[in-house]
Amino acid sequence: MEQFDTALVLSRVLTSGVVMSIEKNDRELPALERLLTKRTRRSKAILVNSRSAAVHAALTGQDIGHGDTAELPAAATGRDRAFVDWVGVTATAPADGAAPAPAFDLITLTPENAADLASAAADATAPTLVVDLTGLGFGPAAAVLTDDAGVWTRGERLKIFGAFDLRTMWTQEEAEPGLAPGVQFNYRLSPLVAACARMALAQAGTRSAEKTGDTPR
Amino acid sequence: MITDFPSSPLALPDPADLTAELAEFGGAAMIPKEVRRTIFPVITKEDVFNLLLAQRSDAAKVVDGFAEEYRAYVGARRALPTASGTSSLHLALVGAGVQPGDEVIVPAFTFIATAQAVVAAKAIPVFVDIDPLTYCMSPEAAAAAITDRARALMPVHVHGLPADVPALRALADRHGLALVEDASHAHSAKIGDRVAGSFGDAAGQSLMADKNFPLGGEGGIAFFDSDEGYDRAADYLERHGIDYGMSWVAGAFGSSQLKRLPYYDAIRARNASLLAAALRETGLFTPPHVPEGHTHAYNMYRIGLDPAAVDLGDLPVWAVKEAVHELLTAEGVPAREWQNTPIPCHLPFRERSGFGNGYPFTLNPAAVRDHAPTDFPTIVAMLESTVVLCRELRSPVEWERVSRYADAFRKVAARPDAIRKLVAEREYVRPYEKAARLG
Ligand SMILES: Cc1ncc(COP(=O)(O)O)c(C=O)c1O
Repeated sequence: MEQFDTALVLSRVLTSGVVMSIEKNDRELPALERLLTKRTRRSKAILVNSRSAAVHAALTGQDIGHGDTAELPAAATGRDRAFVDWVGVTATAPADGAAPAPAFDLITLTPENAADLASAAADATAPTLVVDLTGLGFGPAAAVLTDDAGVWTRGERLKIFGAFDLRTMWTQEEAEPGLAPGVQFNYRLSPLVAACARMALAQAGTRSAEKTGDTPR
Repeated sequence: MITDFPSSPLALPDPADLTAELAEFGGAAMIPKEVRRTIFPVITKEDVFNLLLAQRSDAAKVVDGFAEEYRAYVGARRALPTASGTSSLHLALVGAGVQPGDEVIVPAFTFIATAQAVVAAKAIPVFVDIDPLTYCMSPEAAAAAITDRARALMPVHVHGLPADVPALRALADRHGLALVEDASHAHSAKIGDRVAGSFGDAAGQSLMADKNFPLGGEGGIAFFDSDEGYDRAADYLERHGIDYGMSWVAGAFGSSQLKRLPYYDAIRARNASLLAAALRETGLFTPPHVPEGHTHAYNMYRIGLDPAAVDLGDLPVWAVKEAVHELLTAEGVPAREWQNTPIPCHLPFRERSGFGNGYPFTLNPAAVRDHAPTDFPTIVAMLESTVVLCRELRSPVEWERVSRYADAFRKVAARPDAIRKLVAEREYVRPYEKAARLG
C-alpha cells in the first residue's frame, strides 16, 4: 500500500476521534469484518491482535482446549506448533491413508499475495480459517473466519470485551450453558490497525478464480 | 461532521442552578444532553503528523523507541512493549518467575484482566480483600493468604492510587515472594519520587485507549527490575510462539502522547482537587483518600457516601447510593459503579474451565475456592457506598465542565428528601445482586 493511502486512513480515523476498540461508535472493526467475510465467503469473522491469538481463537472456538488433540494444517510453522503446544493441545497427524483434516486452515497475507485471499479461502476446507494480516505491515493482526455461529461465539468469548461482553452491557452472564468464558486474553484489535489492514486489502482487490479466468495467481 | 470537536460550549457555572429543581423531577440538567460527551483521548495535529512520519521508519524502531522513552520516564530497569495490558501482566508474572500451579495473591477488587493474566501464566489467583481507605490490596489480608505454594503478591494501584508498597514489599521479602504490580490505572502515580511500574520485581501496565496514557487503541508495557526477569519473559515468548507484539501505530501514537502526559496529569490533579473541595462541603460525599507521600493518578475517582451526614442514616447505604446514582445521571454526570461484585464471583472464576478441562486450576486444587461476595466484606462495603467518575477529570475537561460536575454533586446533596423519596419508591438491590459487570 502506498504511504499516502496509509496517511489518509490514519488521518481519517484520528480525526474521527474514535480509536478505542470497545467504543460503541467504532466503525473500523465492523468494516474489516465485513470485508473479510465477503472476500472469504464465510459468514462470521473474529478479529484479533496476532497470529497466535487467531490460532487460539480457532481452537477455542471449536471447544478444543487443554488436554485435547487437533490436527494442524501443513502451513503451520514451528512457531505455530509451539504455540498450540503451549495452549495444551496435542498436535496429531492424519490417520494412515486418510486425507488431511486440520482443525483450521492458515493463510499468511503479504502485500504481494493479498489479492489472492479470495481464491485461497475458496480452496480452504477446514471448519475455521485463520488469516494472518501481520504481513500487510501495520503490526500484529489476524482474523478467524467461520460459518459456524458456535465457533464465532466461543472464539469471541476468548477476548475480554469481545462481541459478547459488549452486547450484554459488559456482563458475562450467559443464557446458554456451556458458553461461560474460561481463561480470557486481551486479543482485541485496534481500530487504527484494522482500518489500515482493510485499506490494504481493499486496494489489493481480488484475483478470484472467476475474475482471472480460472487461473488464480 | 467527522471531527471530534464539541458541537457547542458548556455554559459557565451559575449559583441559581444549585437550587433549581432536580433534573430527575423535570428541572434543567446541570450538564445538558447536547454537551455531555467527554472527548478522550486528546488527539492533536502533532499526533497525526508523528504517525504519518512513523510510516517512514522501521516498525521495530518505532516500537522500541517508544518503549525506551517511556521506560526512562517510569524509571524501570527494562521494558517490553506489548499488545495489551493483559499481555504485559502475563509477561510480568513470567519474568518474576511465576510457574504453572503457583499461587499469586491478587486483590478481589480490580478489573478481571488482573486475575485472567494470572491464569494465562498458568498460575492460580488467590483473592484477598482490600484496605478500606485506599481500596488497594490489604497487606494483612495478603499475609493471611500466603501458603507454601505462593509465589507472588500482585497488588493493583487501583483507580490510580499506589498500593501500600512498603508493607507489601516487606511481606514479600519475609516470605521470599515476588512483587508484581498491576499499574494499569497508575500512569505517573508516585510514592515519593518513584513512579508506579518501578516499585516491584516486575509490573504490567495497560495503555489502552481509555487509560490516562492511551496509545490510540490497544497497547501495554511490561517493566522488569532485573535483566534476568526481562530475559525470562522474552525467552518465554520465543519458546512458546506467543505473539504479544505492539503495533508501530500504537508506538508512534504513544511517543507523541508521552510528551503531553505531564500536562494531562496536571489537569487531572487540578480537577481532582477542585472536586474534592466541593465534595467535602456537601457532607454526603467524600473524596478519595490519598496517603501522605502518595501521588494519585486519578484514572478513576471513587466518591464515598455518608448518608448519616444528611440525616439519611436510617436507610441502607446501597439504596442511598442507587438513588444518588440515578439523580446524578439525570443531571448529566456519568457516574458509574465500576465493578459491582468481587472478581472471583464472575463467571470465569466460578466455573474455572481455564484453558480447557479446568487447567491450570487442576494443578493446585487446594488453592481454589468458591467465593461469595461477602467473603470480602471491605469490598462489598465499598461497592455499596461509592460511585465512580472516570473520564470526567481528564483533559480536555475544562474548568466550566468540572465545576458543573461539582455543582451537580452539591445540588444532589442538598436534596436528602429526594433521595429518601427514590429509596421509598424504587426497588433497589445491592450491587452484587445484579449480574456481574466487567466495568
Ligand atoms: C486494573 C487493570 N488491569 C489490567 C487491565 C487490562 O489491560 P488491557 O485492557 O490493556 O489488556 C485493565 C484495563 O483494561 C485494568 O483496569
